[in-house]
Amino acid sequence: MKGEAAVRARNESAWLLPNDGSRTNHRLREDMRHHDLDDEVDLVVVGAGAGGAVLTQRLARAGWRVVCLDAGPFWDPDRDWVSDERGSHGLYWTEPRQIGGADPVPLGSNNSGRGVGGSMVHYAGYTPRFHPSDFRTRTADGVGADWPIAYAHLRPYYEAIEAELPVAGQDWPWGDPHRYPHSPHPVGGNGDIFLRGASAAGIEARVGPVAIANGRFGNRPHCIYRGFCLQGCKVNAKASPLITHVPDALAHGAEIRADCHVSRVLVDDDAGRVTGVTYLHRGREYRQRARAVAVAGYSIETPRLLLLSATPRYPDGLGNESDQVGRYLMVQGAPQSAGRFDEEVRMYKAPPPEVSSEQFYETDPTKPYKRGWSIQTVSPLPITWAEHVVAQGHWGSVLREYMRDYVHWATLGSLCEFLPQAGNRVTLGDETDRHGLPVAHFSYSQCDNDKQLLAAAQTTMEEILTAAGAREVITIQRFAHLVGGARMAARPQDGVVDADHRVFGVAGLHVVDGSTLPTQGSANPGLTIMALAARAADRLIAGARVGLAHQAAS
Amino acid sequence: MPYRSPDRRAITPQGRGRYPGFDVLAQVDLWDDVTAGAVLARLSHPTGLSFFTVAEVAVAAPLLDLLLAQDAEPRVPVLELIDERLAVGETDGWHYDTMPEDGDAWRRTLACLDEDAHSRFGRGFAELAPDQQAALVQAVQDTDGDWHGLTAAQVWSLWTRYACTAFYSHPWAWNEIGFPGPAYPRGYLNLGVDAREKWEQRDDEPADPVTAGRRVEQARREHAELLDRGTR
Repeated sequence: MKGEAAVRARNESAWLLPNDGSRTNHRLREDMRHHDLDDEVDLVVVGAGAGGAVLTQRLARAGWRVVCLDAGPFWDPDRDWVSDERGSHGLYWTEPRQIGGADPVPLGSNNSGRGVGGSMVHYAGYTPRFHPSDFRTRTADGVGADWPIAYAHLRPYYEAIEAELPVAGQDWPWGDPHRYPHSPHPVGGNGDIFLRGASAAGIEARVGPVAIANGRFGNRPHCIYRGFCLQGCKVNAKASPLITHVPDALAHGAEIRADCHVSRVLVDDDAGRVTGVTYLHRGREYRQRARAVAVAGYSIETPRLLLLSATPRYPDGLGNESDQVGRYLMVQGAPQSAGRFDEEVRMYKAPPPEVSSEQFYETDPTKPYKRGWSIQTVSPLPITWAEHVVAQGHWGSVLREYMRDYVHWATLGSLCEFLPQAGNRVTLGDETDRHGLPVAHFSYSQCDNDKQLLAAAQTTMEEILTAAGAREVITIQRFAHLVGGARMAARPQDGVVDADHRVFGVAGLHVVDGSTLPTQGSANPGLTIMALAARAADRLIAGARVGLAHQAAS
Repeated sequence: MPYRSPDRRAITPQGRGRYPGFDVLAQVDLWDDVTAGAVLARLSHPTGLSFFTVAEVAVAAPLLDLLLAQDAEPRVPVLELIDERLAVGETDGWHYDTMPEDGDAWRRTLACLDEDAHSRFGRGFAELAPDQQAALVQAVQDTDGDWHGLTAAQVWSLWTRYACTAFYSHPWAWNEIGFPGPAYPRGYLNLGVDAREKWEQRDDEPADPVTAGRRVEQARREHAELLDRGTR
């Protein structure tokens, strides 16, 4: 195939995986290049998730000497992952964290990954693009923020990453209309219900977009529709950086050190530039020298690391001269509505990500609120389904009776675009982790616009389920995803990094992950984080050609 | 397939279920070994407790039985599964800044519930009749705001999260609700509404839980009110 050959020429990951029924290329890991601690490498990347792994792969391809450090394990799906909800606890970041504010946001399994592959190991698999409007909400709608880059800057990177994952779905009519490299998957009972209800309610819905290859892709096998996408894909069918970018990075000389918890970014206070990092591995502290550092620890750990790296010259933390680090952190409001059908839906079959609608994504001028929401199928497994039932106030025999009825329920979820607010932020908490480092405290409070979106999204989901024939509908309030916390801005007063992901005021320091997003739309952020990382890599490569003077000028 | 005695097949907690004969464990030879190991480990009944003290067990055991309506054998060993988790500190990581970390939160809330029992009925929680215990548990759920210096809703969330995670991780609970459990490398072939694999069991007593649920909860509240009048 023409398309696949083009992908293989720039990212061979899918062809570097084994094709014998096992899921990990152990030889590639054993033969990985090793750098000395005293070797001043070109770049240390902190975190091997959606941002860090793509950045590492792109720069390794460009000949940079890159060491990527990840706090968690180097996963082997055969050995480490289970086809079981409870047994997947190890996939989540479960180091202590405090949550507060008027509307505290639970972390852990909901939004925080661990190990090589990051949160994309346990994300559902939805990979929508942001809409062009997301990059200028301040100008267009008077809310949120304008990005220092436009959709057009990111578009070629969206296309490149969609081909590398690859993404399957119907032709997409919303935002910037586009097609997907793979055709849509067949849907299960939950997807059937959504399509039926949307059609009856006069709402447009489409199958996809999901980063699950439809058919073989390289040596990655076909999806087996087993429904455990959120527990780590043991099949290698669902995309995560562990299989889409890490193999190619290793083959091109990148070093990925797992189980290495970075404790501090080191800077030379006189020169105002980074010199490396310290990290903890099996109880010992190490120091890796580097010419540049890219922090890619996601919206909670990235701000925490910048705050933990304070020095006499940067007493409030790195990049924090304008008190911006940790601020404007966003989650999406994610109410989920479930409907009861006389038929058997058996929503545990087939991947939870199947069908979505972005009909309500943009600002509707006839409504009192700005921006919007998307609707997607979600298919909770029993433990998560119990949360839905408990949220209705049921316990004891009534809880058991609802649970026994599990096969009759279909569930939809919304992603509501909560607005960025300065007070929603990460600070250092008053307790310490097992390394003795202060933990992150994450405070969240909703604004009126957020609350209006939640109510409107719930009404629409309940309409769809009722139109599909549901006799009863129940709704649970949840949150999804994290972005922001070290946002991109045109000026240091408004953010932590510039349009090229360079941290204001510290030469050689970059943030390349979801924390740089100024707004979030109603889209799952994974694809956008990867696309930003691919673009950041191109900007770094271009910057290296013009010399260090240009970088220092920032 | 590992040997199982005939009386260990198609078990449901308290013998209740809507999928007669449905037996998740009958498919264990179609699972990968790592998953099978994780699930089968939940069947070996633990013999001792490491985290909870004797006094805490006296409160936690009836509390968990009530939350999950486990009023008879066979029981999913929920107390033991939670004890195992807390003993090794396997928490979700995050905690509300108005609550201690999960282990301490369990100890403290069990003590508070026992305190409620003493102040309202003059005896420890363990010594109360089930309807009195239920009234105290219902009171925690009904509290809006502060409960012994903690936020009642956050306490309720802690209890139910741990209880449901333990209970619905157990293959007997999956038999009860018609969920086939692990699916690798087997997967599914027949997708769609009312589509079943040949080994999936049809719902034998489809009953809408909504109406029955409302009746039970109404009765529970009325009973709690009666008790309330009796003790004042």
